[in-house]
Amino acid sequence: MFYNQKLAIKNTHGYQLSAISYQLFRIVFPAKNNLRKIHFVILLFICFFSLTACKSANQTAQTEVKMRDIADDLGRKIKIPEKVERVVSLAPNLTENIFAIGAGDRLVGVTTFCNYPEDAQKIQKVGDTMNPNMETIIALKPQIVFVSTASQIETFTKTLEANNITVFVTNPKDLNGVLTNLRQLGEIFGTPERTTILLNELFERIAAVDEQVRDQPKTKTFVQISKEPLFTIGKESFLTEIVERAGGISVTKDVATAYPKISKETALAFNPDVLILSESPDNTEPNDVFKNSSAVKNKKVFKVNADILSRPSPRIVDALEQIAEDLHPQTNDN
Amino acid sequence: MLPVLVGLLIVSLLLAVFLGSENLAFFELTESQATILFDIRLPRVLLGACVGASLAVAGAGLQSLLRNPLAEPYLLGVSNGAALGTMLAFVFFSQFEFARPIFAFAGAGAATFAVYQMAKSRAGMNVERLVLSGVIVTTFLSSIIVLLTSLLDAAKLRSFTFWLLGDLSQGTKNGFYLTFVLVIIGTVILSSQARALNLMMIGERDAFDFGVEVKKVRLIVFAVASILVGSSVAASGSVGYVGLIVPHLIRLLVGSDNRLVIPFSAISGAIFVVLADTVARTAIAPRELPVGAITALIGAPMFIYLLRRS
Amino acid sequence: MLEVQNISINYGVCAVVQDVSLSLEAGKIIALLGANGAGKTTLLKSLNGGLPVAKGVILLDGKELKAFSRREIAQKIAVIAQETETKFPVSVLEFVLSGRFAHGAAFGWETPDDLRIAVECLNSCDLANYESRQMNQLSGGERQRVVLARALATQAAILLLDEPTANLDLAHQALMFRLVKERCERENAAAVLITHDLNLASEFADEILLMKNGAIAAKGAPEKVLTEENLIEVFKVRVLLDENPHSGKRRVTTIY
Repeated sequence: MFYNQKLAIKNTHGYQLSAISYQLFRIVFPAKNNLRKIHFVILLFICFFSLTACKSANQTAQTEVKMRDIADDLGRKIKIPEKVERVVSLAPNLTENIFAIGAGDRLVGVTTFCNYPEDAQKIQKVGDTMNPNMETIIALKPQIVFVSTASQIETFTKTLEANNITVFVTNPKDLNGVLTNLRQLGEIFGTPERTTILLNELFERIAAVDEQVRDQPKTKTFVQISKEPLFTIGKESFLTEIVERAGGISVTKDVATAYPKISKETALAFNPDVLILSESPDNTEPNDVFKNSSAVKNKKVFKVNADILSRPSPRIVDALEQIAEDLHPQTNDN
Repeated sequence: MLPVLVGLLIVSLLLAVFLGSENLAFFELTESQATILFDIRLPRVLLGACVGASLAVAGAGLQSLLRNPLAEPYLLGVSNGAALGTMLAFVFFSQFEFARPIFAFAGAGAATFAVYQMAKSRAGMNVERLVLSGVIVTTFLSSIIVLLTSLLDAAKLRSFTFWLLGDLSQGTKNGFYLTFVLVIIGTVILSSQARALNLMMIGERDAFDFGVEVKKVRLIVFAVASILVGSSVAASGSVGYVGLIVPHLIRLLVGSDNRLVIPFSAISGAIFVVLADTVARTAIAPRELPVGAITALIGAPMFIYLLRRS
Repeated sequence: MLEVQNISINYGVCAVVQDVSLSLEAGKIIALLGANGAGKTTLLKSLNGGLPVAKGVILLDGKELKAFSRREIAQKIAVIAQETETKFPVSVLEFVLSGRFAHGAAFGWETPDDLRIAVECLNSCDLANYESRQMNQLSGGERQRVVLARALATQAAILLLDEPTANLDLAHQALMFRLVKERCERENAAAVLITHDLNLASEFADEILLMKNGAIAAKGAPEKVLTEENLIEVFKVRVLLDENPHSGKRRVTTIY
């Protein structure tokens, strides 16, 4: 038992404990049917108590951890530990960002939407962005939970903070937002070198695109988010900025909201030169209204992975490059 | 009355064709304006008219059959059956254009049959039982829809959830032809049963005693209503309140004789949805609202007003 | 006109009517009397095919009832059922015209003949100028008379009446019976009626069927059936029997 307890203390988050102790137990007491079962139950009890003891030890340890102040995107002043070891991300783009700055191994929970990078798929799922499973999150004992949406943020935050879990709200909405977010995450996770390298690389790539499209005419571009019903990007979408930056002009840039359902008549009248399809199962070809548009006639229909287009993450620069290439391919020929 | 309604229908059709998110120079149409007018706006307006007529006629028929002015395709689960059918077609047979209406009929028919079987008791069918069965089937089907939307691929169902609110923008010319043919046939068939329905409206017992083949009429009305609701749900999703409000208003104007109520409901239902969709298309142009939201917005208060008046 | 031979009717496993026979001839009125639940309404419903018969046969004009279509039966048999109410705004004229359903085309409008008959029937039921009134604005008694007018408008030779006088005042009870009687005498019609008014039955019926627990307890002319013994047996009340000084028919007075 002594050995067992030591093990429990070592394993600060001892949730594999019962399995380990069971293995140990089988070594100590080889199979002896019922008797073994009873013994095992007793052992489980002991483990439980040692665990609770262990938990309180943890808590005292946490209060001793050096804390620092930081402000999140809502302007909330929050305290985070000096050394961030365990976090949960509740948005696919935040997951990508955390991986990008080299802290992916500290993610202990992500959403079912988090499919990139590949390693993110191996991490424990805690529900989706809109419906995270509170119990799973608490059981994972993260230090910080990163959220992008502010729906029911108050109850959400209260519950988690009651369990000594900090909620960090951040919702990068555009290219600059992504860069700022990456820098901020670098600070939180303490990976400034890796972050600086990443940011420099991104800056260079963005600058290269700027260079590439500087003297190019602005191309009339329509971004089709969904074929039926016809959804596109509006004034408030960061993609409007991406399209402009890539040397295009989003024909729907003045339409209110981020992702409006657009009148087919208006869409037809726009007569875009280029169509960008956010590639998903229901959006693999242009809507019928575009069949006589110059984009379709000139075969200027391009697909961009919907995940890349919909997530403000470093991959947004991939989208920027790809769209720039689609809009102005001649520059790539040389 | 008939000339007035036909006149109103023509006026609203013209209005709907003239108004849209794009201003068209009607006397010197450019090529793309001609496409907008003939390939987008006109089919949508006409589809709206057919959907409105279908729902209003189905509502009028079901109300008389069930002797309940509040009976409605939605209340009875017929629409939800059609919606579930369409959803399955969406998910599994999205490549076949006609899978949607076929599954919608099947769903509407199955829901109607289920409600009817539940409502039937040895002593015959009473209206309370029927309405209760309708509510049960409706909520049951809604939960299946919710369950499927949570289980299935989100991207595939995004368009579906929007469509559930009632959306005419996804109508196709083929969809219009289908609903047009069906609404004409359906209205003629139901009108042909109008005298029998007048008796059914008073009571099934009365209808039986005075020479109506009650079972036959019931089957005809259920079948026609399922087909009408199925085709309109497949074409445009759930456009609510049409089947409730329109026949109700017509009865206030011309009385309860189904020989008038059914054809007049067809015309007025068409007017109602065409106008509602014009609002949906133009109110926040170039963005669009779901037409179901407009019909509910007009329908719900009007319904409460009518309920309090009677 | 209507021959009922040894019919039994079941609700599930319960026999509600057992082995009942009756013969309705032209000009005749048969009254069904009996306590609540004796099976009177069930029997009446079966007479136009409204309930399936488990045993026995019903012959209409010598042919089995099942052989006729609903429309054919409705042309020959009209029904006045207990209270009907509708939630729809139906006018009195529309209601009475619905009685002409079996005579017209299913698809189409009533002929001027239909209209004339409907108005005549309304007038004869003391409902002149009620045509455009709404059914749900009428009193119970008025509605009952509209229901009678609709039955008369069918011009059917057989009338089945289920407590037709339940809501009527004295004058209109008498009117109702007089109209039925006249129709039977002048136009060779016949009627089966259910009533709880023993004296009205005695005055107007040619034959009384006294029912108990689904079977016939007594059958025959009113003075033969309305005996002290029978009435104690069926209704479990004591009665005083004498003669109506005006008509000379049997008169029943309940002793409370």
